[in-house]
Amino acid sequence: MRRVLNTPDFRAGFVEMLPACLGLIPFGLVCGVGAAAAGADVLEALGMSAIIFSGAAQILASQLLAAGAPVAVVILTCAVLGLRFLMYSAAMAPVLRTLSAPWQRAVSFLLTDQVFAASIRKFDAHGDPRGAALHFLGGGMALWSTWQIDNVVGYFAGNVIPAAWSLEFTVPLCFIALLAPALRGVLPIIAATTAGVAVIALAGLPMRLNLVVAGILGIVAGTAAELLRERWKAR
Amino acid sequence: MEGTLKLWVVIVAVGAINYASRLSFIAFFARRTMPPLLARALRYVPPAMLMALIVPMVVAPDVGVQAINPRIPAAIVAGIVAWFTRSSLKTMVAGMAALWLLQAALARLG
Repeated sequence: MRRVLNTPDFRAGFVEMLPACLGLIPFGLVCGVGAAAAGADVLEALGMSAIIFSGAAQILASQLLAAGAPVAVVILTCAVLGLRFLMYSAAMAPVLRTLSAPWQRAVSFLLTDQVFAASIRKFDAHGDPRGAALHFLGGGMALWSTWQIDNVVGYFAGNVIPAAWSLEFTVPLCFIALLAPALRGVLPIIAATTAGVAVIALAGLPMRLNLVVAGILGIVAGTAAELLRERWKAR
Repeated sequence: MEGTLKLWVVIVAVGAINYASRLSFIAFFARRTMPPLLARALRYVPPAMLMALIVPMVVAPDVGVQAINPRIPAAIVAGIVAWFTRSSLKTMVAGMAALWLLQAALARLG
């Protein structure tokens, strides 16, 4: 373990993730505040941040539970949101293929949007799977540990933060930071626009089902547009 | 269902689903390539799901009715910064600065 922690790639991954960890502090605080608002005690709040370990899913689950949505709807909505991990997993598989199975099972838990993006960039730049895996582990550990602190501080400090600061606005800002780079090309824009229009148009649906339905409609629209474009090109 | 039990069911179920998704192609299907249609569809999960989450938070926040919603222009500023810098920290700073400036300006006007 110490040998791993001393490698330059692990350290680089850890250090390079710190600016993103800094940017995620308000998001983590808001997740802690949200858990408190959903009626969680501190152990449950920590359970959300440590086990779910996905800010988007935590916020979504807190909001849906606070709105009184049934457990099945909360789980379904979070599962659709979590589908993106399948894609990250497939992209990370070649990076982590040199690791033993237990290591793979351990580090996979740390797969998140930010760490995935950083490690893939590293792998594409150097093509060294072992270095990129260590880099991934460093970034993942930096993010996981700071995330727990952010969440617990948010859980306790939530009611001291002035409402005029609009701290909750950092949540859509975090998602915008992830969304904007994904909007390269017309097809992702079709998917995003469809989902954005649908979530407003379907706002009347009960149990906040509009979120998951809009998401699925966006995914279908993007995929259908891609298939249509290919057919068009083939003619 | 009682509150505490409900929360733990969500924590364990969502945690397990997330972990299984994270592990999927690294461990379970390591020797298989992803079905092409699934690979295509998954590329649209981030843009579609993120937009479905962003829009209600920006357009219809639960903070009363305002004549002008400063969150919309602030979100656009953040989007432009995110597009060019790809930095979550810079996006956060730009978006919050834009929101605070607009809120201060609106407070002065009205």
